Amino acid sequence: MAVSTGTIPGAPAAPSLGRAGVSSRRRAFDLWWWVLSAIGLVLLIVPVVWVLAGVVANAVPNWSWSIFTETTTGIGGGLANTIVGTFVLLVGVGILAGVVGIGAGVFLAEVAPPGRLTGLLRGASEVLSGIPSIVFGYVGYVALVVGLHWGFSLLAALVVLSLLVVPYVAKSTELALGQVPLAYREGGEALGMSKTHVLRRVVLRSAIPGMATGLIFALAISVGETAPLLYTAGFSNDYPSDHLVHAAVPYLTYATFTFWNQPSTAVKALSYDSALLLVFLVLVLILASRLIVRLTQRYSPNRVGGGALPRRRATRRGLTAGALAPLDASAAPAERDGTSAA
Amino acid sequence: MDARDLANEKAASQRGRRPWYRNVGAAATVALAGALAAGALAAPVAGAATAHAKAKGKPKATANVYASVEKQLSGLEKPPSGVSLLETGSTLLYPLISAWAAHYPATHVTTAGTGSGTGIADALNGTVQLGASDAYLPISDPSNLLDIPLDVSAQQVDYNLPGVKGHLKLNAAVLNGMYNGTITKWNDPAIAALNKGVSLPATTVVPLHRSDGSGDTFMFTSFLDFQDPSSWVASSGGPNTSIHFPSVPTALAEQGNGGMLAGCEKTTGCVAYIGISYLRSALKAGLGDAQLENGSGKYVLPTPGAISSEVASFQHIPSTGAISLVNSKNAKFGYPIVNFEYAIVNANQSSSTTAQAIRAFLAWGMDPRNGSSSTYLTPIYFHPLAPGAMQIALNLLKKIQ
Amino acid sequence: MSDESVDPLGQGGPPPPPPAAAGAVRGARRPRPPRPYARRLAERALRAGSTVTAIVPLGALVAMIVVLLVEALPAIRYNGWHFLTGSTWSQGSYYSPPVRTNGILHPAGATYGAWPLILGTIETSAIAIAIGFPIAFGAAIFIVEKLPKRLAGVVGLCLELLAGIPSVVIGLWGVLTLGPLLARDVYPLLAHLPNVPVLNIFRGYVGSGEGLLTSGIVLAAMIIPIIAATTRDLLRQVPEATREGAEALGMTGAEVFRTVQLRWIRTGVIGAVILGLGRALGETIAVALVSGSVISAATNIYGTMTTIAATIVSLLDSAQGDPTGLATRSLSEAALVLLGMTLIVNIGARMLVRRSARGAALPVGVGF
Repeated sequence: MAVSTGTIPGAPAAPSLGRAGVSSRRRAFDLWWWVLSAIGLVLLIVPVVWVLAGVVANAVPNWSWSIFTETTTGIGGGLANTIVGTFVLLVGVGILAGVVGIGAGVFLAEVAPPGRLTGLLRGASEVLSGIPSIVFGYVGYVALVVGLHWGFSLLAALVVLSLLVVPYVAKSTELALGQVPLAYREGGEALGMSKTHVLRRVVLRSAIPGMATGLIFALAISVGETAPLLYTAGFSNDYPSDHLVHAAVPYLTYATFTFWNQPSTAVKALSYDSALLLVFLVLVLILASRLIVRLTQRYSPNRVGGGALPRRRATRRGLTAGALAPLDASAAPAERDGTSAA
Repeated sequence: MDARDLANEKAASQRGRRPWYRNVGAAATVALAGALAAGALAAPVAGAATAHAKAKGKPKATANVYASVEKQLSGLEKPPSGVSLLETGSTLLYPLISAWAAHYPATHVTTAGTGSGTGIADALNGTVQLGASDAYLPISDPSNLLDIPLDVSAQQVDYNLPGVKGHLKLNAAVLNGMYNGTITKWNDPAIAALNKGVSLPATTVVPLHRSDGSGDTFMFTSFLDFQDPSSWVASSGGPNTSIHFPSVPTALAEQGNGGMLAGCEKTTGCVAYIGISYLRSALKAGLGDAQLENGSGKYVLPTPGAISSEVASFQHIPSTGAISLVNSKNAKFGYPIVNFEYAIVNANQSSSTTAQAIRAFLAWGMDPRNGSSSTYLTPIYFHPLAPGAMQIALNLLKKIQ
Repeated sequence: MSDESVDPLGQGGPPPPPPAAAGAVRGARRPRPPRPYARRLAERALRAGSTVTAIVPLGALVAMIVVLLVEALPAIRYNGWHFLTGSTWSQGSYYSPPVRTNGILHPAGATYGAWPLILGTIETSAIAIAIGFPIAFGAAIFIVEKLPKRLAGVVGLCLELLAGIPSVVIGLWGVLTLGPLLARDVYPLLAHLPNVPVLNIFRGYVGSGEGLLTSGIVLAAMIIPIIAATTRDLLRQVPEATREGAEALGMTGAEVFRTVQLRWIRTGVIGAVILGLGRALGETIAVALVSGSVISAATNIYGTMTTIAATIVSLLDSAQGDPTGLATRSLSEAALVLLGMTLIVNIGARMLVRRSARGAALPVGVGF
């Protein structure tokens, strides 16, 4: 863009006009700015690729499909019981945190009277999301496992894990419900539907992408947690039993955390295999959340016109709630508040 | 009935029963095997047994004492079905008890190597049924918590000095210096004085210790304290599973014996105290194994004979089972860091089937014919209990209800 | 939100039934049309249920603080201020009889000084921010401004993956791959830096790769996704018109960024950084694997140390073996300190972000 000096008052007088009228000093600064940021991008990608490559490189040489059929013994075996245990925990957290989180989100977005009490509840939820997971583990151990004499148990693990992730589910539900246009609600009331009816039939459906991604994000966090589970679920070489208390639950992250420095190569291999399974599970969850967003696009309120028109290509500002939601949750309200206010 | 029917009847009634001569043969084979096993065991335990017999003031044949113990063991080894047990604790015992759990019929035992401190703590607060510990219980623990000796184990001191061949001689004074920062290089005069003729490199000393509550820490600090009264251990509260190690700039802490091994492997100049069940792996990883000065001033390697003579030198074992076998003054060629491996169990169990399962499992484990046979113990350099100690262990075992 | 009994169209649902017959009481209220019982119940149940679930986080928070306080109180009374300043973490002698001081039973010689833990927590988080922020910020800028759209999707997936990879896997990578590589190749080079005031922190004994700097690097890898994603999303909300206006004035891309976008996103980015800090303060497992686990202050930047969270996770189970319970209680006190630190950091961040979200950006007229 050509600039002729002297025509714009206050513009810097360029000492040497380059190709486009931009001084070489400014061009150099511009170049360095983008080069450094490109280096930042490279340095961001490198750990991801490196960790993934390391996980695969450690797991593949000693891979054996028997890890899906054998349980852990102290000196080897497989990972079958840990996989089943992780799934049991996932289902449990999905139900418990799903019910409580979605309920809380619905309350904060729809039912709550505006006022200090609602602000307090919302603030408590945000504060809860910032508490380190080891503090959850400590309280769970001291209060539930030892204090209430539940021992290492499924119930203690589920309570602690669900409380850990409820704030994320609640926040993404609240956000998703908040993005449903007022017009939808007013249209429903105009037809004589009660508020609950509107909520159930119209609003919740539009909010499904956001809620689903929030719930899947919560599941991804639960898959990767170790510290709270060390002290509430214990570990077992057996498949998880149907007892809610007094029966320890095996889970994948235990294998990764404790088996890696055992002298037996079979046990070390189990640790690396479990790391690979964990990464794979997280990848599946991320892709599932993207799939859900894509499938429920027709319900998304961010599409002009709702269900009729073809999907608009996402521009820089026209992103759907779904694509933002997972890292909304990870960045917590810092970015989410910015989104809802913009 | 005719003779053929009679013959058929006789054959039918004897079907499924082996002929008498094969029964006798089988019994003789078992008896011979048992005698051979007892004889093989009698050599190391003979000293302890005769010492025990002498102390009792009544001459008793070695085989006899052992045999009565065997009968008690067999009486206890009836596992109930459908019980699951949780075990946690000592990483030194972990390879053995995991092997037991893998081969033990009927009862499902889950093992975890979390450190003796956790073994004691979890048995104390009831989250597990079996705690494993290299350290006996403190007196201030509730009296219904039992420490039951299972086997005899030991601990070695390993170091990572690639150029140094052979076994360095170390003692408590030198190790104290390494762990409190006064000895910072391997070619320090104090070390050189013990190892004349060995060229020591100028590598920095990296003392490794356990970050978790560890029975190995208890044994090691016991050794440091008993042999060298000026040790820093006393000012840190005495030997304990968890102790405040002096701040040394190069210090490193690891979790579990496996962690100590892995950490020492990748750190040149490290010195680490590692349980003897990891000795084979340590040697394979290229670590050196130190000769330690014992209570009589001799430098000894942790050989089976040295360990046995150290155990044998402790003739009076209290009925609680709690005794330190470290730095004996009466074993001329004994290895100084030896201990009993304990199962920490609450005498009051929630149900009698659980109690029975625990008694059966532990009896099976300490039985030299089963869990404490040489197939299990030799690769990890453990020893089964002497009959005297085993009787005490069995008395404790019977208290679990 | 409108109350369900408000009637926007003035119709009140189905037409009212005909006036009551002779049995009606004079002066009685005009009968309202009854809603179906099931629907009323459903509405009431929904309100009640959602209210209860909304109270759960508050209840859990209060319960946690209460449990921590109740557990920690005897330890607070015994340790006093020495807890925050002392450097010796010793559980005392379990094998001597316990003694009573100030009315509290404790093992002989028990002292709990958490200063090395607190220092380690602050140091690792500071290094994580120092390394992670420039990388995350630069990457976000590049993603939004220069990267083609398709690649932006792939990079977004990488970000989500890095955020989602369990901390134990990253910690394992740190201790198996990164740490040894750094100790073998990178740190010895750094240790040769000249002895000038800033660079001389890199001089000293290099160690085996487990220590402060490695922990900081691993933590940086974990907080980069938070900062990068937030910055990226904030940048995407900067109004086009303001940006285009600056470009129209002839500024280069970098200058546009500095004058327009940076001002717009500044508070939000600071909020994101502080949130990343909160995450770094509380990270347990990765640091436990890579820090060296030594309860003393790091002697140089490569030195072994520990953090509050890593200490709690490695000592909590064996602390129960203290028959007086003081060890567990002191860990509760440490957890309270950690909780306090993260609470201050998180509440500060959210206050900052709220301020930015209300549009305290450019004074150039109202936002578009």
